[in-house]
Amino acid sequence: MSEASKHALRLLGISKSYAHVRALERLSFDVVEGRFFVLFGPSSVGKTTALRTIAGLVKPDSGQVEINGKDVSQAPIAGRGVSMVFQSFALYPHLSVFENLAYPLREERLGREEIAKRVKETATMLKLSHRLERKPNTLSGGEQQRVALGRSLIRRPKILLLDEPLTNLDAKLRHDMRAELKRLHQQFGMTIVYATPDELEALSMGEEIAVMRDGAVVQHGTPDELYENPVDMYVAGKIGSPHMNIITAITGADKTTFETALGKITARSKIKSVASGEAAILGIRPSDVRFANKGEAGVKSTVQMLEPLGDVTVVSIVARGETLRMVVPESAALALRPGQATSIFLDHKKFHVFRASDGQAIT
Amino acid sequence: MSETASMWEKLGFRKASGVSEAGWGQTLFAGLISLIYFLPVLLIIITSFKLQTEALAIPPKFIPTHLFGLIPDAYVFTPTLENYTSVFSRSMTAGAAAENTGFDRYFFNSIVIASVSVFLALIIGTLAAFGFSRYPLKGNDTYLFVILTTRMLPAIVVIIPVILMFRITGLSGSYLGIIMLYTAFNLPFTIWMMKSFFDELSLDVEDAARLDGSSDVKVFFKICLPQVIAGLAATFVFGLILTWNEFLFALLLTGVDTRTVPVGMSQAVAGGGIGVLWGLLAAIETLFLIPVFFVTFFLQDHLLRGVTFGTVKR
Repeated sequence: MSEASKHALRLLGISKSYAHVRALERLSFDVVEGRFFVLFGPSSVGKTTALRTIAGLVKPDSGQVEINGKDVSQAPIAGRGVSMVFQSFALYPHLSVFENLAYPLREERLGREEIAKRVKETATMLKLSHRLERKPNTLSGGEQQRVALGRSLIRRPKILLLDEPLTNLDAKLRHDMRAELKRLHQQFGMTIVYATPDELEALSMGEEIAVMRDGAVVQHGTPDELYENPVDMYVAGKIGSPHMNIITAITGADKTTFETALGKITARSKIKSVASGEAAILGIRPSDVRFANKGEAGVKSTVQMLEPLGDVTVVSIVARGETLRMVVPESAALALRPGQATSIFLDHKKFHVFRASDGQAIT
Repeated sequence: MSETASMWEKLGFRKASGVSEAGWGQTLFAGLISLIYFLPVLLIIITSFKLQTEALAIPPKFIPTHLFGLIPDAYVFTPTLENYTSVFSRSMTAGAAAENTGFDRYFFNSIVIASVSVFLALIIGTLAAFGFSRYPLKGNDTYLFVILTTRMLPAIVVIIPVILMFRITGLSGSYLGIIMLYTAFNLPFTIWMMKSFFDELSLDVEDAARLDGSSDVKVFFKICLPQVIAGLAATFVFGLILTWNEFLFALLLTGVDTRTVPVGMSQAVAGGGIGVLWGLLAAIETLFLIPVFFVTFFLQDHLLRGVTFGTVKR
């Protein structure tokens, strides 16, 4: 009981198909009350359908949606205490900003004064006070976004669903809104389910992330857990930028060492679920690759390309035929030139091991 | 408004943003082309103020004033309102007392029949269009196609079964009959037009309203309908013009009491055996033009938006 009641939201084996497409395939996850929860995955992976199912706009073919421990799968939309910000903002184009914000309150049949007060509060909070008489299509993208947000917040929902809310904004605004959304979450403490295909948004905002593939959750955890212990190559490839370096390997006889082009690499621990001689894939984060210090046994390599990103530089190097990327502080990268010979140090403990056949992590 | 506001903008004409103003030459050229389009209507209006002899004069008398002696006498006519008074009441045979021509009734009939049937078609058609757009049936497109087939044949082909139906049901000559017919006649167009407007609307907006607590009925009235006002206006005007000018069905299916202006007009042309009374005919036509002219004028802002709906990227 106590376990169930802590969850603001719980999806149990939700499946949903449209005419020829399987949108959700036994999707399950639960969200603790007050969490900033991110549904992360590329487009058309089922994120929007998942949100619409939670909102009640989509009736699942099977499975159960629980809100505050109650099954609402077949319940009407009203009364769920859920509101949603759409990717397209979905403002009412024929109504002024004031009326857009007031709409949910009018539907709740609140008094005129109460509505005016709440609209004023919300508009002040979102810096929209000077725009109340305008029609949505005369506003900038950022303002439209804030109206959409205000319209969802004004009802004081228990659960706020955000469907790629920043996709239609420009880069600078996106950055500001990320901070703004985090601030609103801290201020109101409601449960947020945030769908995004953007890794940076997921990692910077999510307290918990569910990585989705083909309508189901592949891995669910904190950003750190996903980064440190990806369950398979899909998650490893999606989380972390630049992407993980991938090296093909053959499992050694002791199931602990792996033969690679870069030499023998010893895994963190003995791996049982792999046969000796079986193909495996080793992965190492670009941030875990560094240049060898004097006296260390490094792997000889050549600098191939430099991508300065401001404070850090992504350096591509070639070592014994394998191309690896590493992240180097800008100061250290200044001395590097393409074609320069160097030596890199690989910390064996940092390697992730995946089975080549299905991509599952076996470390 | 910026300080570079042109004379037109000061007069309240709005200019599309990012469009540079046309030069005087272009404006003049456009005016000339418009005049060519407007010429037949202008001729009718001028003729309505002429006596029969002036209406038939060659060379034509085209202006009611000498313009301070600039225009020679041969081109000038003396305007008269006689045609307008005789639209409603005149002597049918030479020397007889003036009698009612029935045109007051015809105008009343035209206004009632056209507006009621176009309104009915708009109400039924809009609901049907919303249904076709949001709650598609199996074979939705087939239904829409079938609805349109009723307008694929010329009216003259359809008229015979319609007359038979009207005779059997006793609807001939009644208001109910002609209103029902015109409503049915307007429906395909209304449904297709309104469906295209509803199809353009964002479904997310409707879902947002559902999440905000609106029922499907409220979503229709408070969210969808207000967004297609321009479309409603455009559909209304086109339907009104079609119905207002309809002649064939009205000729065959209205009685003396329910006769519309186009039918009355055709009889006035032939009337009296003294040739066509051009001045009188022009006066009827001018009066006939006024209601549609005003409706269109007042709705023209919506009309333009309605017609260009969806062609502009949102």
